[in-house]
Amino acid sequence: MYMLHRFERPLWFLGSVLVALGFIGIWQIVASSGLVSNVFLPGPDRTFRALLAGLESGVLTGKFFSTVQHMFYGWFIASLIGISLGAIIGTSRMAQVYVAPSLELLRPLPASALVPVAIAFLGLSTSMVLFIIGFGALWPMLLSTIHGFTSVEPRLNEVSRILRLTKMQYIFKIALPNAMPDILAGMRLSLTVALILAVVGEMLSGQDGLGQWILASGRMFRSPDLFAGVILLGALGYMSATLLTWFEQWVLRWRNEG
Amino acid sequence: MPSVDQASEAMTAKGARGHGEVIISFENLSLSFGSKLILDNINLDVARGEFLCVIGPSGCGKTTMLRLLAGLLTPSAGQILYQGLPVSGPRPDVAVLFQDYVKALLPWRTVFGNVSLALEAAQVPRKLRRDKIMAHLELVGLADHAEKYPTQLSGGMQQRLQIARCLAQDPEVLLMDEPFGALDAMTRQALQDEMQELASVSGCTIFFVTHDLEEAVYLGDRVIGLLPHPGRVGREFEVNISRPRDQLTTPEKPEFLQLRHELYSFIKLVEHG
Repeated sequence: MYMLHRFERPLWFLGSVLVALGFIGIWQIVASSGLVSNVFLPGPDRTFRALLAGLESGVLTGKFFSTVQHMFYGWFIASLIGISLGAIIGTSRMAQVYVAPSLELLRPLPASALVPVAIAFLGLSTSMVLFIIGFGALWPMLLSTIHGFTSVEPRLNEVSRILRLTKMQYIFKIALPNAMPDILAGMRLSLTVALILAVVGEMLSGQDGLGQWILASGRMFRSPDLFAGVILLGALGYMSATLLTWFEQWVLRWRNEG
Repeated sequence: MPSVDQASEAMTAKGARGHGEVIISFENLSLSFGSKLILDNINLDVARGEFLCVIGPSGCGKTTMLRLLAGLLTPSAGQILYQGLPVSGPRPDVAVLFQDYVKALLPWRTVFGNVSLALEAAQVPRKLRRDKIMAHLELVGLADHAEKYPTQLSGGMQQRLQIARCLAQDPEVLLMDEPFGALDAMTRQALQDEMQELASVSGCTIFFVTHDLEEAVYLGDRVIGLLPHPGRVGREFEVNISRPRDQLTTPEKPEFLQLRHELYSFIKLVEHG
């Protein structure tokens, strides 16, 4: 929502751009002053040159889209499983009683702890990266979906009974729309988790992507390339969050009106 | 005692609304939650097309009676017959209007979509829905607001929307649970008159729970006064006031004042022993 505000108020937008430029200026001053060796800290000038070179040659572009793919597929799988499983658990008392405790045991597991297990079963493959992303991104989505499905206003449950909605009608016309704000909040959390795990997965498995690029650049002391990769990751995080915000505003437009 | 004139007037009023045939009867109905007796041996007949108001102090179980009638609760003893058959759950031709319209409407659906829900539930084909929905919105004066969301409407309009959704069920019986209690006085009066109009046009049987004595007399053909702890039928009041009734002149009529007096004394007696 604050995105729109910014564009509605050009002065604010201008101000935020100036602040960002200020940070880049400070970065340039620190880098040029020689306080930190330029082997480790390239100035913005060298970084942007490396970024442009990488984009022009298509190498960085390729890495960027590999990471986007990993992140998106992993996140998408997690969303599908999280929302459907959450819907089942959220609408069935049986499922809540029998399945919920096992889930509570799995939930606190850090996804990174499962990396060796995933490597053992799936090898250093794309599937392994997707598995790690999917596992980590599943929990916020699953838990928020369950919450959304179980928090239907009791009066609406009565209205559903009075109108004699079928179970399917209830799920799609009442429970799912009711859970949408929660689900979207879960999707936002998972998106962050998915980006983190995409980078971690690429670093560990050597699968093509920005994570692997950053790791390789760092090991070879190509710090401008390293920083270019970090900037792209930042941009990816920002862009995906913005897209999700637009999607959220569209889905929840009933909240914004009136 | 009502005069002969009033009696015959009431007869014609009732006749026009098709009284006589019993559509709902409570038969030795009791309900307890655990060891607590909520309703004790209720016997009550409701005639088809009747506008029945139920009043009583809080804790007398008037809402519980409505919920039993709606099929949302199951009696502990006795039964409710609806058109001769025991009520075993919600029915498509029995609609319920709740007091808390904010909670009873779907905030993510437009005015149009909220009415549509009742038709979707009844498996009405999509092609036929539009006209029906607009007709019902027209009836409650919301046709111009079809694309708005409930939060964009005033309280009175939201309650009208809920009424439209109930009417979309094409109900035989409309159960109303203190429907206008949360509205301001002006809106309440406007909705009372609209309800009076809708009742006579649709011919619905109406079971109207309220704690507002004047509202009960103004709207009802008959008023049932309940006694609390446990809930029982205390007294019945026939409302022999001609229709259509009018917010200005009806409350000035001697028979209105007389009934208001009787109801007030009844409630006072109940509440203060």
